[in-house]
Amino acid sequence: MPKIVFPVSRIEGHAQVVIEVHAGRVVSARFKATEYRGFEHFVKGVAPEQMVVIVPRICGVCSTAHHLASVKALEMAFGVIPPPLALSIRELLMLGQMIQNQATSLFLFTMPDRLGLSSILEAAGEAGSAEQLSSLAHRALQVRNAGTKLIDTAGGQFIHPVKAVIGGVTGGIEEKLAETMHGTLMKTLPMACELFDYYIEKSVALKEQLGTWGDDTPTHYIAAVSEYRPDYTGDSIRIMGPDGRILATFPASGYLNHIQFEESEYSYSEKSSYGGKVFRANSLARINLADYMGTPLADRYLEQFRESFERPAHAILLFDIARGIELIYALERAIEILRQPLDNDETMVGYRTRDSEGYGLVEAPRGPLIHHYRITNGIISEAKFILPTVHNIIAIEQALRNSVERYIDSDRIDMEIERAVGRVVRAFDPCIACATH
Amino acid sequence: MKTFAVLQLSGCAGCEVGLLNSQAWIDEYRLLYMPLVISVHDMPDTDRLLISGGVRTDEDVYNLHRAVRKTGYVVAIGTCAISGGIASLGNRDNVRELFFSQSARHHVPRLLPRSYPIDEYVSVDLYLPGCPPTPELFHSVLSENGKIRTNTTVCAECRRKKIREIRPAQITGFQEGKVSPEVCLIKQGFLCIGTSTRNGCGAPCPRAGHPCVGCRGPSNALIEKGSDAWFESIKKVFVALTDIPDDAIEEGLRSPQLSLFLFQFSDYAHTGRLPRPKEKVV
Repeated sequence: MPKIVFPVSRIEGHAQVVIEVHAGRVVSARFKATEYRGFEHFVKGVAPEQMVVIVPRICGVCSTAHHLASVKALEMAFGVIPPPLALSIRELLMLGQMIQNQATSLFLFTMPDRLGLSSILEAAGEAGSAEQLSSLAHRALQVRNAGTKLIDTAGGQFIHPVKAVIGGVTGGIEEKLAETMHGTLMKTLPMACELFDYYIEKSVALKEQLGTWGDDTPTHYIAAVSEYRPDYTGDSIRIMGPDGRILATFPASGYLNHIQFEESEYSYSEKSSYGGKVFRANSLARINLADYMGTPLADRYLEQFRESFERPAHAILLFDIARGIELIYALERAIEILRQPLDNDETMVGYRTRDSEGYGLVEAPRGPLIHHYRITNGIISEAKFILPTVHNIIAIEQALRNSVERYIDSDRIDMEIERAVGRVVRAFDPCIACATH
Repeated sequence: MKTFAVLQLSGCAGCEVGLLNSQAWIDEYRLLYMPLVISVHDMPDTDRLLISGGVRTDEDVYNLHRAVRKTGYVVAIGTCAISGGIASLGNRDNVRELFFSQSARHHVPRLLPRSYPIDEYVSVDLYLPGCPPTPELFHSVLSENGKIRTNTTVCAECRRKKIREIRPAQITGFQEGKVSPEVCLIKQGFLCIGTSTRNGCGAPCPRAGHPCVGCRGPSNALIEKGSDAWFESIKKVFVALTDIPDDAIEEGLRSPQLSLFLFQFSDYAHTGRLPRPKEKVV
């Protein structure tokens, strides 16, 4: 059977889309993850304390989320409760993660699709006519750098943070450092709004050109954020039905009761579903599940979003718009936290190790991330990583199928198909290093 | 304008993310290939090729050989490309067996028996270790041809004080629930290996209160020696600075704290591979 293979770029990691076509009809659309390192195998035998150093290396884009999920899993296993200041610093870490990721996804991964370019760095070094583009690239990088700077400030290292440890964080944030960071974010916020407004404008233009926001079969949604003020260090997962009703709320330890997993022959990534029903994680899930954002500018963007689209919103390209709302929220919320004293109290407590089991949950940029460890004879004997990209694989394949059918008929294949495949996959912002780990 | 490309093998993209943080090259170099941010699917000819990630699948081997033909200068970036990195934890014999369950899949790139550094397959002109290397180090490789002074250790860049009177009698780690912001981490009973680790990163981890895990690999004094010399050097430091019994130091530095060395030790230990010459390592 004829196959069309599309390598996918401007996502994290190595993946391919394979479309099988027969007599002008799409037979299947597959999303293949083609890399594998085996973290679940090779962390066996490791000392629990080392996990928080090892797991950020699952992914250089989502490293902070893994760092914190790991620390939470171990704290549950050892029965430790970190002090409040540690929790504020960890929230800052997750906000840095969100700023870095959403800015990367919006401006480096998907903006080129709206400008007809292969990359926004393409003309960054050229003067003259490309000046506007060059400034766009510089500003985009500046916004995402604000996120990594925040990770550095709160986490001690800009990509694979080290400050979160079992029992808290290794130290507070000195007043001067917090002030500098606050200043950087204050300067970044208007720049991010400007870039996001431009992004929305170009997205509307794309929608006009395509005649759709990427309408797709409505699905369920899964996220670990509360209704109001989306705390990304959340403690329970919620599932929303296609009509907007909340169907389930459960802690990380209950994930097997609600999520089904299957392996596939053609990919190193598993795929998951809600009892066989398609669900989606990531930005659109969070925006559908949130009543408010709780910060002024983000709430204004959310209001505009709600006026234009129903709740829950289902169209594929709205993932990207939702990501922008979160970028603004994360900047505003981090600014709020940095105004509080962050160096005036204890940041960690002692603990004793014991043989036990723990679950750590955070809402990573791509959705709920769970680390599940078992500790036997003082070392890690079992580790499961429940990755949010895995939750989106079936939704990606469904969206791909619906999308490519628009471009294939019995006479010909419209060359727009390649761009369509890229747009659909990037809307889900999949992370392949994470999905396969 | 000079050009460069970035090939990512099996890794985490942390090196690429670090490179994006160093904007200094943007007006000086044209980045022609890096699938993370550019939709160009064929490797173009470039002045310089940066390679990140370890060689874990047969597809990695193929892509690696194809890519190096397109350039005259290869830089191995990040610990995975240089010594297998974190994925080499999977090279332990008892763990490798677990991987066999994965090799039954037919429609994905086949896994190699272990994770290899890139110089197992191609010759490398410059090594830039770090997990990931800092933006300054990337800048140094692109704009200054790696001319950064790397003749000392992380310890020398850390600024924590080694107070003579403090001599811990055991390895306590984080279980005590406190880290003093000023005192040397070894003096506080942490297993820090910054005393033998290559400088150049600015010691962000120990300065933030977390022991150095050695991601930059051995210092110039040790890099051309075997892993045993590195291990002995670390051990000697603990003997000199603490009252921790020898066997406790030995036990602490070896398993199950093996991840302390995961960044380079796994590769240097008992592979029979020749050490990389220090002139080639940034």
